[in-house]
Amino acid sequence: MLSRVIRRTHMYLALFVFPWVLMYALSTLVMNHRALFTARYGTGAPPYETERTARYDGTFSDQAPLRDISRTVLASLDLDGAHNVTRRNDGAIVITRQDLIRPRRIIYSPTDSTLVVERMQHRTNALLERFHRRRGYATGYTLDTVWAVSVDLFMAAAIFWALSGLWMWWEMKVTRSLGLAAVLTGAALFAVYMAAI
Amino acid sequence: MTFAHLNRRTHLYLGLALLPWFFMYGLSSFPFAHSQYFDARDAAKKLPLWTMTMDRVVDTPVPGEGNDGAMRAFGARLMNEAGLEGTSFGVYRQSANQINVYAYSFRKSTQLKYYVDTKRLTVEDRRFRWDHFLTGMHARGGFEDERLFVRSWSVIVDLVCVAMMLWIATGLYMWWGLPGHRAWGWLAIAAGTAAFVVFTMRL
Repeated sequence: MLSRVIRRTHMYLALFVFPWVLMYALSTLVMNHRALFTARYGTGAPPYETERTARYDGTFSDQAPLRDISRTVLASLDLDGAHNVTRRNDGAIVITRQDLIRPRRIIYSPTDSTLVVERMQHRTNALLERFHRRRGYATGYTLDTVWAVSVDLFMAAAIFWALSGLWMWWEMKVTRSLGLAAVLTGAALFAVYMAAI
Repeated sequence: MTFAHLNRRTHLYLGLALLPWFFMYGLSSFPFAHSQYFDARDAAKKLPLWTMTMDRVVDTPVPGEGNDGAMRAFGARLMNEAGLEGTSFGVYRQSANQINVYAYSFRKSTQLKYYVDTKRLTVEDRRFRWDHFLTGMHARGGFEDERLFVRSWSVIVDLVCVAMMLWIATGLYMWWGLPGHRAWGWLAIAAGTAAFVVFTMRL
């Protein structure tokens, strides 16, 4: 009975989580070969291009926390979500909206009440890297927290697959000797890397 | 040997051989996802993260901007001055007046800072932390290092990525071979894919 539960959990968990597996595999390939993309596009994130400009007539007190200002401005643009915010030396407030598909930068200048909304140019390698690096617990947005939980679930699933895979292998007596050779070879190679690099 | 048999054995033996990497990537993701927890835990120890081991003047020509090869050679010279050899490293221009070299192995990290105006070189060792050890392994990759053996680690990283895609393909094939589980399997695939698409569109 236990064996059956382990086998079924191994399979159904994998069927549910496979989009995450695929995304992490592709994004890791992209990051491992970053030099190819750097040679093609140069270093740094893709550039931003202006999407639209607008007037923002709201006012904020001098003591208003930056985070309150950014949330209000983003809500007015219907763009509320995970973001970082800083104030430039000239007083302009720069909001970096961490959208997975379309990251944006919003520059709000209180002196002339203007908003410039810029969108990051699309690059597939950058999109995959954003996916890979996306966390969530610290943003304060529910969807991001749920995403972070899904990432935790993926990590737990990875460890469960490894352990349940070992269990299923050990149950198949015919594969024990070759399987042991595979386990020992992998472990030895890993140990050599640990010691040497 | 039938294709189904080959499929099952590929799924199994590839998994067993790459088990250490699978465990490592799984475990090391926790310190990345919960870095605030690990940082707070370490801060409570009130121990400095970096300890200076050298501070001296080194008179050596500084490369101009945009010359990656010369920057790497410059980094290697600084490493030599610091008595660090046979270690992977990266060289970065921190500012017009400062060039940093990060030398790292799985167990140890050292930071070299070169101040151009005073020709001063400082060397600092980072205190060992388990979470950094794990995240260091997780983040290791790329083919910049000159040494073949070090670069071979990145070949294994590629292999792990290809293996992950093969596990998906071979796993789907095995699932399809169990007609009694097709309906629930479709449900799991549809639910997972829908959740992933929602995250993609909304995050």
